[in-house]
Amino acid sequence: MARVNWSASSPAERTLSCWCPDWPVVVARRHALDLMGQPLVVVESGRRGLLVRAASSEARREGVRRGLRRREAEARCPGLVVLDVDLGAEARAFEAVARATETITPGVVLERPGVLSFPTRGPSRYCGGDDGLTRQVLAALATIGLTDVRVGVADGPFAARLAARRAAPGAAGVVASGETPAFLAPWPVGVLDDPALASLLSRLGLSRLGAFASLPPASVLARFGPAGARAHRLARGLDEHTAPPAPPPPELVETCELDPPATRVDEVAFAAKGLADRLLGRLDALGLACTQVVVEAETEHGEHRARRWRHEGALTPAALVTRVRWQLDGWLTGSEDDDATAGLTLVRLAPDRVVAASGRQLGFWGGDAAAGDRADRALARLQAMEGPNAVVTARVGGGRTPAERVRWVPWGEPRDDGGGPESPSWPGAVPGPAPARVFESRLPASLLDAAGESVAVSGRGEASAVPTRLVCDPLGDAAVVAWAGPWPQDIRWWDRLCRRRRALWQLVARTEGTDVACLVVVEAGRVGLEALYD
Amino acid sequence: MVLAHDRALDISGPLGQLLPGGLVRGSVTVVEGATGAGATSVALTLCAAVTAVGEWAAAVDLAGTLGGEAAAEAGVTLERFAVVRRVPPDRWATVTAVLLDGMSLVVVEVPPRARPAEARRLVARARERGVVLVPLVGFPSSWPAEARQRVRVEGGSWPGLGVGHGLLAPRAPKIRVVSHGTRELVGVLAG
Repeated sequence: MARVNWSASSPAERTLSCWCPDWPVVVARRHALDLMGQPLVVVESGRRGLLVRAASSEARREGVRRGLRRREAEARCPGLVVLDVDLGAEARAFEAVARATETITPGVVLERPGVLSFPTRGPSRYCGGDDGLTRQVLAALATIGLTDVRVGVADGPFAARLAARRAAPGAAGVVASGETPAFLAPWPVGVLDDPALASLLSRLGLSRLGAFASLPPASVLARFGPAGARAHRLARGLDEHTAPPAPPPPELVETCELDPPATRVDEVAFAAKGLADRLLGRLDALGLACTQVVVEAETEHGEHRARRWRHEGALTPAALVTRVRWQLDGWLTGSEDDDATAGLTLVRLAPDRVVAASGRQLGFWGGDAAAGDRADRALARLQAMEGPNAVVTARVGGGRTPAERVRWVPWGEPRDDGGGPESPSWPGAVPGPAPARVFESRLPASLLDAAGESVAVSGRGEASAVPTRLVCDPLGDAAVVAWAGPWPQDIRWWDRLCRRRRALWQLVARTEGTDVACLVVVEAGRVGLEALYD
Repeated sequence: MVLAHDRALDISGPLGQLLPGGLVRGSVTVVEGATGAGATSVALTLCAAVTAVGEWAAAVDLAGTLGGEAAAEAGVTLERFAVVRRVPPDRWATVTAVLLDGMSLVVVEVPPRARPAEARRLVARARERGVVLVPLVGFPSSWPAEARQRVRVEGGSWPGLGVGHGLLAPRAPKIRVVSHGTRELVGVLAG
């Protein structure tokens, strides 16, 4: 792939980009044929709740757009079928597209499920020009039943993707060599896929790529930094990197052998995570960033599979792990006869293109993009040592007691924060400040009255006596100086099997050093310490 | 050139007045207090100050009892706050050492009878990586190594709760900060 006469201002490598619009919808319809012709959206959880990830053309005609909230989409289009996103299925289905394209050229590079690209220099000459090549690609994809495919050819993957967007369904948009800058000029800056930069540029009066491209490169670098300079190169129809992507040294390949062989994706995914972290860590130490990676796998039967994945900018650990996961999903759980016939014994990650890392990028308020990567790597290492469930983040949700209100989500798994604003009042929730120590399995305790008898709570929620002493392990024998309760709770009273009744006390116990506030639960005659306000 | 925020993490609010220089990166700040005195809340407040400026904090929670909702109430950005739960006591130092590689602040519950050699190794590692190490220990302190400052949380009375009536209200625990080379600062942390 190395070009001999490379210079910083030579146009980007001529590339064919193939885009399947609304890929999530296409995949969903493949699984349920009765959804054909119905308005359909696929939703994913985003920052503001469930957002539309892809919409079918029927739904779009009614005004449903990508990024809309689910409720709003349903209001605009009555009778809308809403499906949850299934990234694994999307990746699996796209593996078939990659295979069909591979019959034309070996250099296929996947960008995400729904988009792939490859350099056209060799295949175009073989097929008699760009038009012949695009016809071949469309014909190859028609054999696997894909008709709504857009193909674009231009200088560089970025322009080729835009050319594909411009193309008619089932047709090709070819931008003649050397005319890419003129083709890019009228596009809005929003297509650069950097919302912060795009908003800044349009506020500066540069709403089109052409206007942005006409700025002098040195001034762009000075004003917008490395990320802005990269976008500027894209807008000018150049390769996004200033230096030619060099073939990386072979010793950077990271390999992981699986014993026993893995047949399920989640078995491999965890190993792949460590692999990705190691690879990027080593590249990081050399001051390199990876933009394209080859994922390889071998099976027990000696089958060998390899696939290239590319990413705009540099691959982050999270982006790399996602791609590896997609790919392994495609190989292991696909339904084609060409799939792996046995468990995977080996997974290998080889960097295919590396560029000089553009350095630590400081955020405007002193935030550090590299700090996130560093934290990610440390936590992934800890998960490898202690097990994936040992490292968690908290998620606060609804519930009555402090233990019920928190869910611990393993590090790296989606936090599903899209539930909207947390419900302001949960009926029966313990009021007041949240306790800093929560015992998920309650600590045995005893609550005694002045006579030394245990304080019981009747079925009507009345205490048998006034509590005066609390005896438990962390506090010892402590005098109760203030208390409120008991607050009876009847949980799932409509369900005979799951019904639970309990009563809560809020107490302040005086130990020798200090006053300790705690939450005590009485359930089935047993007293337990639920939480400490520490 | 070294910017001020490169050397120290600023703490705002009433706790910040007791820690005038903020938390110096690479140093150790011990938070100590008897059970129920409020030491955990103070440690969470420190985590909140770190995550609020976009940096990362982690906690080593030996018994798995740290309250997630209390962290959220203290102002911690939960996406940037990792908790390692139910760590076997003999592995606390190993786990902490890994966390020191990637975080800006690490709160670590120190098991009783922790070995001084392990603690000293962690202090050296924190200094090398520029991480604030916050050992969270009972009282009297069981942190067996050096510390730049010690935040001693002494508790206080709980308002709001009466005898058979009322509701627990946030309290203001009494705090005593002992730093190297400065006089002792005593204050009350408003809830």
